[in-house]
Amino acid sequence: PQGHWSARESTVRPDEEQGGHADQKTSPARTSHKKHLPPIPKNAVPITKPASVGTPSHLANGTHASYGPFYLEYSLMAEFTLVIKQKLPGIYVQPSYKSALMWFGVIFIRHGLYQDGVFKFTVYIPDNYPDGECPKLVFDTPVFHPLVDPVSGELDVKRAFTKWRRNHNHIWQVLMYARTVFYKINTAEPLNPEAAVLYEKDGQLFKSKVVDGVKLCNSHLFDQPKVDDPFAISFSPWNPAVHDEAKERMFTFKRRPEEHHKGAQVSGLSWVKPGSTQPFSKVDSPQS
Amino acid sequence: MMASVVANGNQDGQSLVLNGVDPETCMIVFKNHWAQVVKILEKHDPLRSSSMHPTLSVINLGVGSGGVHRFGPIPGDEASAVQNYVEHMLFLLMEEESGQGGCMGPILEFVVMENVMERLFVWSLRREFTDEMKLEQLKMYEMLVGQARQPLLHHKPILRPLMMLLSSCSGTAAPAVEAELVLLLNQLCCILAKDPSILELFFHTSEDQGATNFLIFSLLIPYIHREGTVGQQARDALLLIMSLSAENERVARHVVENTYFCPVLATGLSGLYSSLPTKLEVPNEEWHCLHKVDWMRMPSLVQFLNSLEFCNAVIQVAHPSIKDQLVAYIYNGFLVPVLAPALHKLTLEEVMTTTAYLDLFLRSISETSLLQTFLSFILLHQHESVYILDTLVSRINTPFQLGTVSMALFRTLIGFYCEDVMLQLILRYLIPCNHMMLSQRRVVRERDFYSTSAAKMLALTPSCCSPDHSPPPLRQLDSILFSKGGADTPNSSSTADEQKSFSEEDDSSGNSCTIGSEIYLDVSYLHYLYDARLSISSCIRACQVWSALYDAEDPPPEKYQPGVLEEPKLEGRQTQTALKRVPKLLVSNARSGLPRGEPPSIHQLELEWDDSYDACPVQTTETPVEGKPAHLSPSEPPKHIQEMRRTAIMLVKGSYIEENEFQDDVMVYNLVAKKDSSEAEHAEETQSDPAHAPLRNGLTLPTSLVSDNDKNSLKAKAKGQTDCNGNLQNATPVESGEDFLAQYEELICILDSEGRGKRVKGDRELNKPVSPVEEEEEEEMDFMSFTAETPEPEKLQSPFGTVQRLRSGSSNRCYSVPFTGPFISVLFSRLENMLTNPLHVNLLLTGILAQLAAYPQPLLRSFLLNTNLVFQPTVRSLYQVLATVKSQIEELSASRLDFPERITAAQHWLLAREASFTATDKGGSCGSRQQDGGRILKSSPPPKPKAISLDQTEVFATVLFAEFLKELSAITQEHSILSYIPVEE
Repeated sequence: PQGHWSARESTVRPDEEQGGHADQKTSPARTSHKKHLPPIPKNAVPITKPASVGTPSHLANGTHASYGPFYLEYSLMAEFTLVIKQKLPGIYVQPSYKSALMWFGVIFIRHGLYQDGVFKFTVYIPDNYPDGECPKLVFDTPVFHPLVDPVSGELDVKRAFTKWRRNHNHIWQVLMYARTVFYKINTAEPLNPEAAVLYEKDGQLFKSKVVDGVKLCNSHLFDQPKVDDPFAISFSPWNPAVHDEAKERMFTFKRRPEEHHKGAQVSGLSWVKPGSTQPFSKVDSPQS
Repeated sequence: MMASVVANGNQDGQSLVLNGVDPETCMIVFKNHWAQVVKILEKHDPLRSSSMHPTLSVINLGVGSGGVHRFGPIPGDEASAVQNYVEHMLFLLMEEESGQGGCMGPILEFVVMENVMERLFVWSLRREFTDEMKLEQLKMYEMLVGQARQPLLHHKPILRPLMMLLSSCSGTAAPAVEAELVLLLNQLCCILAKDPSILELFFHTSEDQGATNFLIFSLLIPYIHREGTVGQQARDALLLIMSLSAENERVARHVVENTYFCPVLATGLSGLYSSLPTKLEVPNEEWHCLHKVDWMRMPSLVQFLNSLEFCNAVIQVAHPSIKDQLVAYIYNGFLVPVLAPALHKLTLEEVMTTTAYLDLFLRSISETSLLQTFLSFILLHQHESVYILDTLVSRINTPFQLGTVSMALFRTLIGFYCEDVMLQLILRYLIPCNHMMLSQRRVVRERDFYSTSAAKMLALTPSCCSPDHSPPPLRQLDSILFSKGGADTPNSSSTADEQKSFSEEDDSSGNSCTIGSEIYLDVSYLHYLYDARLSISSCIRACQVWSALYDAEDPPPEKYQPGVLEEPKLEGRQTQTALKRVPKLLVSNARSGLPRGEPPSIHQLELEWDDSYDACPVQTTETPVEGKPAHLSPSEPPKHIQEMRRTAIMLVKGSYIEENEFQDDVMVYNLVAKKDSSEAEHAEETQSDPAHAPLRNGLTLPTSLVSDNDKNSLKAKAKGQTDCNGNLQNATPVESGEDFLAQYEELICILDSEGRGKRVKGDRELNKPVSPVEEEEEEEMDFMSFTAETPEPEKLQSPFGTVQRLRSGSSNRCYSVPFTGPFISVLFSRLENMLTNPLHVNLLLTGILAQLAAYPQPLLRSFLLNTNLVFQPTVRSLYQVLATVKSQIEELSASRLDFPERITAAQHWLLAREASFTATDKGGSCGSRQQDGGRILKSSPPPKPKAISLDQTEVFATVLFAEFLKELSAITQEHSILSYIPVEE
């Protein structure tokens, strides 16, 4: 799957990359206008929640209706179902309660230099998705890594997705990229030059810094999430009262589909023999 | 067995202890009474027989020959003396507890030994056996059976006279006796259900009468279709036996082999059907299906539905062999001979009525195998060489109420989530993938990640319908709280803080979630999304039982190119199935199309009888149909059947009525059949060569009805006429035909003048592959067939060929013309005329399309909803049709200044309608779950409706059109999620 975006690296056009970047920095809000798409606030409430259908008093004149938010919302839902389908190893994400444009995630590194690292991150999706820049991925705690900004914690995703192409690029690829970064370390054009230099020059020191970073990160594992969002990912020590039951449910969940099928056979009908296109071709209708 | 019981009783008789009353005393009293009774009995016994067990056969003869009064009348005082004694005796018997270890109590033992009950019955026969007397005896047994503290029915000396009594009562017409009889039978069935061990005895007792019989069952049969309590009790009782049959092979075999149960049930349906009104009184123009309020007012329909429900219940609980037999009889005894002709009746009203009935029946059935029977009738049965389905589809396009009633029927059919139905209606035409460019096959499965199709759909919204243009409350814009996550957290100030807490930094780094402006959304769209989610997910769940995915790979398009879906194959399959399902007979009748030519009465009666009793069916292989009736009709029914019929009649002469009752049903059935045959007589002339039939039904050229307004229009009209009437024009070309034609042409004129200017290209594409000359001829032929008295065979060949091939999609010519099937074609052509359709038609139409759009099969989904799919140039897509409508609307609104105003009025009107609709429909009428686009403009306070006439169809259609776009778009969006949610392994 890597090929999808790593191949794009060769076609990088620096001017384009920079231009996009600058635009984002100066006025992130206006990108949408530029694209002639309706403005969508980042904090869009998931529309599947009836509670969010709301207050008529806010009706103002002159505003214009738009289905844009619906398209965006469904695009992101589609992306999310894709992520689930990919079953990315060691990566878990969950869209924020407040905005479908913000996803919380955590990545577990299981071997290599960053082994035992548990890094929480947030994915920010541009509101003109899928026509804008590629999504940003920011680690909650800046990880010591050549491609992670030591101040903001942002991962340099753009080098892999110089141009975000609808239909070709998907958010799961960004997540996959975030994972790969910890196994194959790239030091070219680093966001963290110190890390890059150390990695090249002094592997030992680099290693110990990484280990320290991992330790630091893990020591903050149980901290409250930076963002107050009901869907933010938070860890807590094992509490049998809470977790045993949850674990139980997770395991019974696997059994559920069968029961589910039995109960759901109420509605549909078919007397077509598999492999045939003739109606009532089944020898004996087992349904009766 | 009994001997041992008796012996046992003798031994321990003295040691028995009874509760309550001193059993000793009871016994003495009982014996004394009996002694008195016997004295009187013997005094009047003609034979002065000392035999303790007068044989019943003797009595039989006595009664039968009317020798009741041979020995003079019995004095009244003696009769009442016996009466008194018996009452006391019975009380004692009833109150007696069973003996130790479940053996008989002494009184019961005495009753059995002395054969008390039988002698009492003989006594009552000897006197004048009046209804009153029967009633008395029935009540006596009912009391005994119902209240006795020990089981009585295990003992033949009690059971036998009971059976005799039952037999003797069956013939009486006195309602009181019937009611009591059925009540007692019902009680017996309850006991049987609880204690099936008695079953054997019931059979044995009957054997004494010279036949394998299950009397209580046979006695109940005549009451199957009865109205009121008696009928209900009888049906309940029969159901008890039916569920017994599921466990007990013998009962099942008996019912199937030795009773008329299934034929009576099925032909009864036919009988009841024939008493339904042939023309419904339709409340208004908008009416299109029978709701509960409608049929509750029609007693005959209620009765029919009761019987249908009973069939449904029998199929639910009975043994598979009974189920199979019943289902076969319903197919061949009701659907084919009665319903099929009824669907091809003479007038539009009649046909419409039948269609509405069929729709109601389908909605009333819950049992899958019964539903299967109905559906296979619709999908596979050919009435005069035309599939019922094709006829029904073609009627959608009638501008009359028949059109909407037909649509309502299809709404029901599509709502079954039945693969077979969808296959025949649409999928079979999509499987070959000829409707799209070859390169597009992969697109079928492609996912619309970014709602581009939805956006394209919504972009068709006419400018006059943009939500911005309508004033509140119609403009259902709400600020949906995309802003800063405020609304659901009650404290908004804290929200602001939260916002700050994480966005400040984000802002600076460009990650930002700070766009704060409120967005105004069309709230109604949320409802559409919600509805779409519900309907798609239930459809997905339902379709899990389907055999294939229909995704342009499974089934493989290459394998199912049109040529492969050959008609004959289908035919063979169908006949096979039929033969299998219809165990013995009637197959020839049902399938060949021949039978109607024959004088049906005796012949069919014999067939009927033969059918159920012929132990060794002739018909395991397909023998030529012609030979069959000749072979069967002259032959006598097998001996054992004659025997049985005789027994049935003779049991107690004239009183056992099963035969008669059944014959009544058969007569009704025959009447119907006769009527059909006379209707079909004309058809019969051509019938000798079945190939001629279809030409009369221009049916299969689906859009022909409203299609042409060019120079060919007259022919088209003629064609259209046959369209909606099937064979009728041939049957009565003079009487109703001309009148109807005149009406019809008038209507067409009106329709034509109403500016349905743009003609659908798709319509005549059907004819394209035919060379011009041929086409000319074909048109000519259709017209001829319609007017001419006798169609000329040679000329008929060509239209037949074309028509047949078109429907089966099997000819080479067809191969070259991609065709998405008559159903789609008809729907689209109605949709294209949306602006001239009345509101209720559009509601139905869009409802059906929305139903179809909810199906998850990629072939269907992509065909209807994927605006990126590239179709063959000749294939019309839903999007194209919608675009046509949009441009019509834009034209209209540009030319009329007051259009926006009217739109607003129509929106108000619809909103008010919606409000009243939800208010009255709280109870939920059956079958209307897809009812209209009822969800339109939900959730707003009803405004005062402005006056607007429903005649302004184009205004209402415009409003509806905009809503329909939202609905489709919402469905499209939900598909992009729901169809791709990973299924848990």
